[in-house]
Amino acid sequence: MKKISLLIAIFLLLTPGIVRAESGRELLENAAGFDGKQVTYSGEVIGVLMSGDFAWVNILDNGYPIGVWCRATDAKKVSIIGDYKHLGDTVQVTGIFHMACAEHGGDLDIHADNLTVLEAGQELDRSVNLLLAAIGVILVVIAFLITFHLWRLRKEKEKIFPWPFH
Amino acid sequence: MILPLTREDLKVIGYNMSKIVYLIGVLLFLPIIVAVIYGEFDVIPCFLVGIAIAFIFGSLLHHFLKTEKEMELKHALVMAALIWLVAPLLASVPIWLANATASYLDASFESISGFTGTGLTLATDIDHLSHSINFLRHFLQFLGDGIGIIVVSLSILGTTEMSSVLAFKGEAKDVGIRPSIVRTSRIIIGIAVTFLLIGTILFTAAGVYAGLDPGTAVFDGLNHSMTGYATGGFSVRSQNLLYYHNVWIEVAAIVIMIIGALNFNLHYAVLGGKRREILRNMEVRVLLLFLVVFGMFVSANLLQLNLYSSGEALFRKGVFHVISAQTTTGFQTVPSSILMFVWPVLSILLLSIAMLIGGCANSTSGGIKLLRVGVLFKSLVMDIKRALLPKSAVVKGSFHHIDDVPLTDTVVKGAAVIALSYLILFSFGTMITVAHGYSMEDSMFETSSALSNVGLSSGITSPAMPATLKVTYMFLMWAGKLEIIAIFVLIGFIILALRKGIRK
Repeated sequence: MKKISLLIAIFLLLTPGIVRAESGRELLENAAGFDGKQVTYSGEVIGVLMSGDFAWVNILDNGYPIGVWCRATDAKKVSIIGDYKHLGDTVQVTGIFHMACAEHGGDLDIHADNLTVLEAGQELDRSVNLLLAAIGVILVVIAFLITFHLWRLRKEKEKIFPWPFH
Repeated sequence: MILPLTREDLKVIGYNMSKIVYLIGVLLFLPIIVAVIYGEFDVIPCFLVGIAIAFIFGSLLHHFLKTEKEMELKHALVMAALIWLVAPLLASVPIWLANATASYLDASFESISGFTGTGLTLATDIDHLSHSINFLRHFLQFLGDGIGIIVVSLSILGTTEMSSVLAFKGEAKDVGIRPSIVRTSRIIIGIAVTFLLIGTILFTAAGVYAGLDPGTAVFDGLNHSMTGYATGGFSVRSQNLLYYHNVWIEVAAIVIMIIGALNFNLHYAVLGGKRREILRNMEVRVLLLFLVVFGMFVSANLLQLNLYSSGEALFRKGVFHVISAQTTTGFQTVPSSILMFVWPVLSILLLSIAMLIGGCANSTSGGIKLLRVGVLFKSLVMDIKRALLPKSAVVKGSFHHIDDVPLTDTVVKGAAVIALSYLILFSFGTMITVAHGYSMEDSMFETSSALSNVGLSSGITSPAMPATLKVTYMFLMWAGKLEIIAIFVLIGFIILALRKGIRK
């Protein structure tokens, strides 16, 4: 059994072009090492830009975003795109990583062979923080009262002691 | 002899500041409109708190420091230095309360980066920021760097007294478009709004072509137009312009960045019919020269390492980043990690030099400024001529900048003082960054980016960077925006107060 595991490990190490990336950080910080190799990358969809039969799908993994060039039919599998009110679909892509893609003007990208939706996105809870709202309203009222009071004081003072240059 | 400070001096500064503090409070209502449009009602209380604090602080300053004393140059410079700290601190309140950053220090950094048109960001998750907070970040750049806080206040308040002229100079804007400073302010705003509209149309059209839905294209276009014209560089996307993977977005950005980097006087002259001025102006010639030279060297360097092989890639990566650096905008189409780990040292150093030089004087750009570099270069040529010609020969120089301007010792000295001050601060910032464990070239890159209010990053600027470095960059952004002199006067003011006290 040990021998078989060892053989599999040696096979994986010696097989060119198969590298499994753990994270976007790894891909971006060691881009030269992954250049031209097949990678598997997953994360939240933060943007889909359709371009004829193909599309750009921007995928964010733990703060590290990468643009993925895939078929439009794959991009259409994405139902929710991440933004302020939504957590986007979590997808996984497998494809060739380019540090400076010759086809796309030197962009860093992944040309995906396939895209799989791992988990559907969801709406995020963005309800009003009542405490903060109360503090905001109270402060606005205080600000108005102070501004108005000081303005009235100033006007009264100016009536008694008018400014010499007015 | 320098006279000791009096309470009246402090009153003059505080009273004049109060009007701008009120203005900040009023302008914070704009993001509330955006929040209502996008149904982001949970963010509105954050803005209300910021507005209330601005009005309370403004009222107290206005009431207790009221004075009729006229402002002098020293007051104007100190007020400009202080208001460029106070305004960002007030605007950072909603950013902090909306959890756009990890701490209040980070929110202040973000706000100073916004107001000064730098574009270095500590926002934790830009892709999930609300539209209203994103609008605020971009609007701060348009307001602070695109127009100028004092310009806006002069335009709205309509003050015509001498003090306003001085305050204008304090903000490092020495524009003499019209004799009336209020009229000049309004012209600056008019020019900014015109180019904002043009930029929004260009970015929106390119965005729709890139595959964005029209609503998103308009929002992204408006924000990028604001930060492009302001040569600020904030983006609504964490990938910056790389998000769009589209050459036309980059072309739109190049157009608006170059417009932003040109002198207001030049805009006014060209819009007024003096179209030949654009070819005769010394600053424009120097700008084109630097763009061509730096563009060629960076592209050749990237090509030599076979990093980018096609002409399109060299343009979209090499030339684009040279333009972004020279105009001190900071739009990026290459991830910071690639700049830090992959780009060759020579290209990084050339971009750092381009950032330090910056765009035109009296534009939205930062840096030493092309006019000063041109003046110093012409002065050097004159000195060489003097050395070669007979003693009896009289060597006179001039340069064309709207009018023909004689190259006097005063002009050269003024340019040299500012350039030297920038270089001292650049060395200081680089040393501090290196002391935090970063490489020399990355430290030089990030320091020149902060000091010249650019925003390109080699990856050093992040929420995880040490607080001391955050404070250092905040200082550099602030000092760079005010062209340093106002900061020196403020420091002199404080030393004077400490040594001789404040008299009644």
